[in-house]
Amino acid sequence: MVQRMLNVVGQPVLRRDGMGHVLGKTTYVDDITYPDMLHLKMVRSPIPHARIKGIDFSEAEKVPGFVCYLTHKDIPKNVYTILTLIGVGPDEEPVLAEDKVLYNGEQIAAIVAETEEAAMEAVSRVKLDLEELPAVFDVEEALKAGAPILKPWGTNYFIYDYEYGQQNMFRKVRFGDVDKAFDEADFIVEECYQTSPIEHVPSETTACIAKPEADGRITVHTNTQALFFSLDNTALILQVPFQKLHFVGGTVGGGFGGKVDVIVEPIATLAAIKTGRPVKYKFTREEEMRVSSSRGAWRMYFKDGVMKDGRIIARKVTTYADSGAYNRHTPYAVTKHVANAAGPYRIPNVWIDAHCVYTNRQPGSAMRGFGVTPASFAIESQMDLIAETIGMDPWEIRFINAYRDGDMKPHQKVVEDATLIEVMQTAAEMVGHKLPEEYRKMSSSNREGGNHG
Amino acid sequence: MASKIVNFTLNGRPVEAMSKPLTTLQAILREQFKYTATKSGCKQGGCGSCTVLVNDEPIMSCLLPVENVEGQEVVTLEGLLQSEDGLHPIQAAFFERFAVQCGYCSPGMIMISKALLEQNPQPSREEIVDALTGNFCRCTGYEPIIQAVEEAARRMNGG
Amino acid sequence: MTTKEYFLPQSLDEAVGLLADHGPSLLVIAGGTLAMPLINEGVSMPETVIGLQRAGLNNIKRTNGSLAIGATTTLTRMMADHTIPLLQEAAHHIGGWSIRNMGTVGGNLFAPPPSGDFAVALLALDAQVKLVSNNSQRVLPLTEFYTGFMTTALQPNELVSEIMVPVPKGKTAYLKYGRRHANTPAIVTVAVHLILENRIVKDVRLGLNAVGPYPIRAEAAERVLIGTTFDQEAIAAAAHAAAEECQPFTDSIATEWYRRRMVGVYVRRALTQLAG
Repeated sequence: MVQRMLNVVGQPVLRRDGMGHVLGKTTYVDDITYPDMLHLKMVRSPIPHARIKGIDFSEAEKVPGFVCYLTHKDIPKNVYTILTLIGVGPDEEPVLAEDKVLYNGEQIAAIVAETEEAAMEAVSRVKLDLEELPAVFDVEEALKAGAPILKPWGTNYFIYDYEYGQQNMFRKVRFGDVDKAFDEADFIVEECYQTSPIEHVPSETTACIAKPEADGRITVHTNTQALFFSLDNTALILQVPFQKLHFVGGTVGGGFGGKVDVIVEPIATLAAIKTGRPVKYKFTREEEMRVSSSRGAWRMYFKDGVMKDGRIIARKVTTYADSGAYNRHTPYAVTKHVANAAGPYRIPNVWIDAHCVYTNRQPGSAMRGFGVTPASFAIESQMDLIAETIGMDPWEIRFINAYRDGDMKPHQKVVEDATLIEVMQTAAEMVGHKLPEEYRKMSSSNREGGNHG
Repeated sequence: MASKIVNFTLNGRPVEAMSKPLTTLQAILREQFKYTATKSGCKQGGCGSCTVLVNDEPIMSCLLPVENVEGQEVVTLEGLLQSEDGLHPIQAAFFERFAVQCGYCSPGMIMISKALLEQNPQPSREEIVDALTGNFCRCTGYEPIIQAVEEAARRMNGG
Repeated sequence: MTTKEYFLPQSLDEAVGLLADHGPSLLVIAGGTLAMPLINEGVSMPETVIGLQRAGLNNIKRTNGSLAIGATTTLTRMMADHTIPLLQEAAHHIGGWSIRNMGTVGGNLFAPPPSGDFAVALLALDAQVKLVSNNSQRVLPLTEFYTGFMTTALQPNELVSEIMVPVPKGKTAYLKYGRRHANTPAIVTVAVHLILENRIVKDVRLGLNAVGPYPIRAEAAERVLIGTTFDQEAIAAAAHAAAEECQPFTDSIATEWYRRRMVGVYVRRALTQLAG
């Protein structure tokens, strides 16, 4: 009986969708076509920060195949924020820019045409009257007095509703007394860590097709990674009942977090409603690189207080996450970040401030462990630096400080099912590193052994 | 803007394509013949998802005006065996060795592997890597794909 | 696509005739690997395009001591010709297999840095280009072909029909350094042709790419070497001179600062290969 139950666990199982892939029969969004399908292309800002003084469509309208254009005035609820569905606000990103653009490539107006080529040509003939404004590209510059202010509420940072209704300009964690611990520490180890934006480069670019149905509903074929997220946001933006939209998805030609934003669906759906015809909106590769969300850039200042025996007794972290021009998923990433910035280590005194900062860059968003991955880069670089500073083996410093079941993490969560010690023991074995007996005998399930004793 | 009729052989059958000037082979395959296994990942010649064979040589169909293939032989993934019972050994190896994840690069990978194994039935690992270097995969990390091509070579050589 | 006409001339005469008729409004393509991405993206919207693939220029002829390479010879075809191994290697370092099946030797001359690496080998080999119009024909050394970033000595009614490469008398080396091992734009590309007599440098040509507005000869480095004993000291001095004289740029591949440093490293490595 047990054997029968385990014929999947531990065994390779052929992919359910693999046969379609090798036969070339899997249907991606781009493979769907309708006889009367229209194509949507976007007029984008060529500069990172500007006031929009005028848009002239007169030459674009003359292009053979031109059908219509859409601006923010056509969109029932133009300003939104994706994470409104989990209570994050306020709304701050326009589907199509209103009076200002905040990044190079921002969507200003949609052109709908009979063919992709006609749409591209019409886009090239739209004349934008833009007044260029000073731009800010650095997270710390953006927080200084005198920096160009990007948000209507008058700051360049996201405001978190913290406990007791108190508003904060950052996410914070307070645990123990770091200043007292720094006074007691034998060593202070400080460093700044910076990551760069990374594009997901999915093989298939972001795309959708919105098709009006005879019953009044709209079918939307999309390669989103978050089908109901996209449906719900589209319904909210277009102010239509959720049941009016039928989202079809699940086949995604690579995502990695790059397809959880809701960019193409609302505007294509609106164009389908306006024209009564199917409308396709597919990013070119250049658009995917230039305007789709990237992994954000993070700057993290670490200060650790360390004892001669290797124990980290205090950690102070100040982080500036570059959200780019809009929220997308960065406010949430910062929340994940503060929960992880102490790392998988038992540190009794921790102080973390993490700022979600707006700049005139392409918005950052989700990508594989966003918020946590940059923290891990900083934490593990810092662990090596500590080991080097106090003259200790880098394996040893990690065993000494590893958290174990029952420890309290700085954000007030008790550690359960810890496996760090066991993972390190296995890793050491796999790379042929001989660990001292003391560390080979350690276990995550109790606090025997190691300097924490 | 007069369209032209272009004659070529597609997966063994003579076809006629109606082409506006400079229309790519990729566009004709996907939009006119509805052979959508040939993907459109970048239209820059940068990703290899549109790789097809022209006279047994791999090319990027997104960069090739269809008028250039007048009188030539074009083979796409649809030209390989098309049933689960009669897979080409390369298709079978890709499926069984987990060389597919999102699947978007698979048609191009399979076609360029086919060209490689026809020209070089027993390629070294280095030769496989060299042949596939213009075809991008963002999911697998390439290792399962390289192993699938090695496995396909063994099977095609009766191993 | 706004292209109204795509010509596929069946001969060189027909091609230059079309050029004479249409003048500078005509976009000339061969393999299409440079022009088609821009057309697909809507960056370039040419009304009239001429494709050279059928114009009879895809052949390699061997004549006394040199190769005459037809302009539309593909990079794959070039890799298969064993006459000049340096050219095989240079061709292999461009793109992936499919791109080399399409991209041509003549077309690659027009690929702006950090692409266009085939010319580096051609510079080291002292190649010449044949420029043909409907009423003229002239031959230019490749060093006089480039005039600036994406500009050449080519007149609007001219085509590159052929590239003539003397079979090298000395030793050659080719090194390309990019962000990946293959199918990558260059951080720097180096090609060298060296003739030694009793360890004295009798003649040297050093081609560089991705460190200037077009593929260049490192002439100061060449002057450092000529007439000197070919030892580590001379190699170091030449590498230093090349790093000084080049004009690198910053792009998404590498910074100006890094490219200059790498010119020193890769010129030294290429020359050291020939010392071995």
